[in-house]
Amino acid sequence: MKDHSLGEFEELVLLMVAALHHDAYGVSILENLEQHLRKKLNISAVHVALKRMEDKGFVKSKFGGITEERGGRRKKFYVLTALGKRVLDYQYSLRTSLYNQIPKIAFHS
Amino acid sequence: MKPQPPKHALKFFRWFCREDYLEELEGDLTEVFYKKYAASPGKARREFTWSIIKYFRPGFIKSFKSTHNNSFAMYKNHLKISWRSLLRQKMYSVIKVGGLALGLAACFLISLFILDELRYDSHYANYERIYRVVGVFNDNGNMSREVWFPAPFAPALKQDYPEVELSGRYNASALFGAGTAQVRKDGDIENSFEEGIVYFDQSLLEIFSLPMVYGDLTTALKEPGTIVITQQIAEKYFPGEDPTGKLLIVNDKDTEPYKIGGVVSDFLPTSHIQFDFLITMTGREFFEGEQSTWDASNYPTYVLLRPGTDAKALAEKMMKGIVEKYYLPAMLATGQMSEKDIREMMGHAHLELQPVTDIYLDSDVGDSLQHGDMRFIWLFGTIAIFILIIACINFINLSTAKSANRAKEVGLRKVVGSFRGNIITQFLTESFLFSFLSCVIAVAVAVLLLPYFNMLSGKSIVLPWTEWQLMPILFIVVLTVGILAGLYPAFYLSSFKPIQVLKGDLSRGSKSSSMRSTLVVFQFTTSIVLIVSTFIIHRQMDYILNKELGFEKDQVLLVQGAGTLGGQINTFKKELLQLPQVKYTSVSDYLPIRNTKRNGNSFWKEGRTKEDKGIGGQIWRVDHDYIQTMGMEIVEGRNFNVQMATDSQAVIVNQTMAKKLGLQVPVGQRITNGWEIRNIIGVVKDFHFESLKENIQPLCLAIGNSPEIVSVKTSSTDMHGTLEAVAKVWKKLVPHQPFRYTFLDQRYAAMYDDVRRMERIFTSFAVFAILVACLGLFALSAYMVEQRGKEISIRLVLGASMNSIFHLLTGNFIKLVVVSFIIATPLAWYIMQKWLEGYVYRTAIGLDVFILSGAIAILIALLTVSYQSVRAALVKPVEKLRSE
Repeated sequence: MKDHSLGEFEELVLLMVAALHHDAYGVSILENLEQHLRKKLNISAVHVALKRMEDKGFVKSKFGGITEERGGRRKKFYVLTALGKRVLDYQYSLRTSLYNQIPKIAFHS
Repeated sequence: MKPQPPKHALKFFRWFCREDYLEELEGDLTEVFYKKYAASPGKARREFTWSIIKYFRPGFIKSFKSTHNNSFAMYKNHLKISWRSLLRQKMYSVIKVGGLALGLAACFLISLFILDELRYDSHYANYERIYRVVGVFNDNGNMSREVWFPAPFAPALKQDYPEVELSGRYNASALFGAGTAQVRKDGDIENSFEEGIVYFDQSLLEIFSLPMVYGDLTTALKEPGTIVITQQIAEKYFPGEDPTGKLLIVNDKDTEPYKIGGVVSDFLPTSHIQFDFLITMTGREFFEGEQSTWDASNYPTYVLLRPGTDAKALAEKMMKGIVEKYYLPAMLATGQMSEKDIREMMGHAHLELQPVTDIYLDSDVGDSLQHGDMRFIWLFGTIAIFILIIACINFINLSTAKSANRAKEVGLRKVVGSFRGNIITQFLTESFLFSFLSCVIAVAVAVLLLPYFNMLSGKSIVLPWTEWQLMPILFIVVLTVGILAGLYPAFYLSSFKPIQVLKGDLSRGSKSSSMRSTLVVFQFTTSIVLIVSTFIIHRQMDYILNKELGFEKDQVLLVQGAGTLGGQINTFKKELLQLPQVKYTSVSDYLPIRNTKRNGNSFWKEGRTKEDKGIGGQIWRVDHDYIQTMGMEIVEGRNFNVQMATDSQAVIVNQTMAKKLGLQVPVGQRITNGWEIRNIIGVVKDFHFESLKENIQPLCLAIGNSPEIVSVKTSSTDMHGTLEAVAKVWKKLVPHQPFRYTFLDQRYAAMYDDVRRMERIFTSFAVFAILVACLGLFALSAYMVEQRGKEISIRLVLGASMNSIFHLLTGNFIKLVVVSFIIATPLAWYIMQKWLEGYVYRTAIGLDVFILSGAIAILIALLTVSYQSVRAALVKPVEKLRSE
């Protein structure tokens, strides 16, 4: 998994794409992230992460229908790819295994 | 109405954003905007704009590559076309590039010279805070500025003024034994003759913070009897070792050797003072009470001011304080003047603190140092610019003259859709290419000519390869010259109308011929002015060398360092007179050439000391044979006579002295300098003893002892044999002292080295200028012949003679040179008149100089043009006419 590097923020966005399933587009990702992280984010940061991960092949995208609230512009929905899923799994297992190695004694006293 | 997102931000976003991202991003942005708008419209707008700015990053910006590509190709095309047209017309290209290169090379050399002159004394660590004290005396509007101050002046400055961090003095006067001496290291027998000996304060060493090779800067000259030498001298006497603590013996005084306190690195060539032996002033007194008297001023004085001191205000403060506290009491004590008179006199004087970096170029101060001349710098700068302009003119002339060849190209480009701006860019590119090539060649030429130029200017300049400014400056030069030379041709060439050009209607390059003529006239005017100047400077040098000086400078040998003969000096004289080649010998250090002994006195007619103002003049100590040896002429009275014992109190005055004192019949009168009264026995014809720039000053000769230089007048032309004979006598008497000699005429000529140098520099630049101008003329004539080839052939067919063709082709150019000559004559006359005014004794500017210069200019121009003209006249008409 050497070439499939994943930044911290990128990982959050990727998780959110996976969580929102077929409803993941720029603004929905932004709002959900803001809600969970309890801080303000800029839409551009989300886009940067999305575009990067699309280049890496973790997500793929397609246009949706026209909606009124966006001034007649189409939404672009993102979905997780198989590779993206593997990256997430790998990250999760790596963290869990590392977490499990923490000696319990250290925090008892 | 629905609220709109900020319009300008959106416009900007649409301009830079990748098209495949645009819809999605814009949609998301708008959605966020509407959602926020409800809460706070202002904040929503701000965040919208801010987000857009954050998108301005690689990955989101669309590629502008397509437009770049195109203009790059255009430049490539420009360069290619420039290169091709350069190759197509080899001769013109060589002349264009060569002319520019020569001009630039001259400019480079002159710039290096000027930079070197301006760089003096900026190498000391604290150079912005070092000042030299200058006394300014206003004698009825006649300003004189001097640097000599009494011995206690420097200590007083430091003691009384807290702004002064350090003060120090030196004394380089031969009267006190500085200047030259016989030196050997302790334990050696042979002496060497050394120059650059000076008495120096420990504090002055610190003011200049001279870099030490051995020893400690703060203590090197602290002890009495210490000496600091330069690295070069240390290498000579103590090769490869640290000489600190070793002894040097000066002038055979074994009893008081000097202990070496340290070694400084050699004074840089760009330092206004140049010494090799610095003898400490600590504990030294040249005569009883000398260090505390305010009566004798012998010391140039320097101060190091504390940071932030206002030098001008301090100088004023010093003037008041020093006069009140020291000068006034000291002068009152002598009882010669009343307090009122002293105050009145001091009212005409003030002090000045001169920044150390200004010293070298300020030749107005009497300080016996070598100075540069600001006027030279201006002069050279002007010459450099003129040569460069001449070179640029060549470029302009040739470009516009050859315009016909490029006209079709311009026309076609325009038809295909080129704007005028594109064509201007193209021709400017071309001139940049030329100026770049020229610049490269010019640097090479400058490197080649640098040794020769150093010889001319008497400097030791090296090219500043290591300075980071060099490359940017060269780049700017390339740009400037490119624009200067290329702008006019670019506008001229790009103005052609395609329809005329392509129809073949263009009057081939004749439109700008008046412009070209003007430029040629400018070139030749400059050249002729330079030629005339060269001639006049040469004349003046000739005049100086051959002028009746009132003494005979030829065949006089000067044996120096004769002081070491001591009591044997008379034996030496006698033995020399035994030699068949020797006519006269005389012992005196006072000689009518620079850098020999001088003094200053005031003279009165006996008994009028109180009534009159004294006449400033010198009293030279000579011996009985002085006047014969120097070939001077007694116009009244008689010479000194060995038989007459009273002659030791007698004096011979020069004509100026007699006149200034108002003596009708000088012989038999008595004059005084305040403490001794002398009887005038004769009057010597005025002779020049200072530079010809000055009037002859009052002077008198008296019998006295000044034994350093023996002058030997020889009758033989075999100088080599004479020298050997004299040296033999010398070696017999003082085997361990080096035999040193010079010739009077050489020393005299050396006084005018600056004139000679200027003559040589002017000659070189005149050659440069005329060479570049001729290159241009040559190319122009070649072009003209090319243009009129068919016409000439037809004329020849119809029976024109070679002669008439030649006249036809050269006549125009000669006219231009004649016009230049007419303009140049008054200009050159005025400039050289100004220069000659610096000399009291000067040659007249004759008409012949102008005629000669004009003839040379016309001749050179004719030769240049005629090569092409003759070639044109010799061509077989059929060659030119067969293809039509």
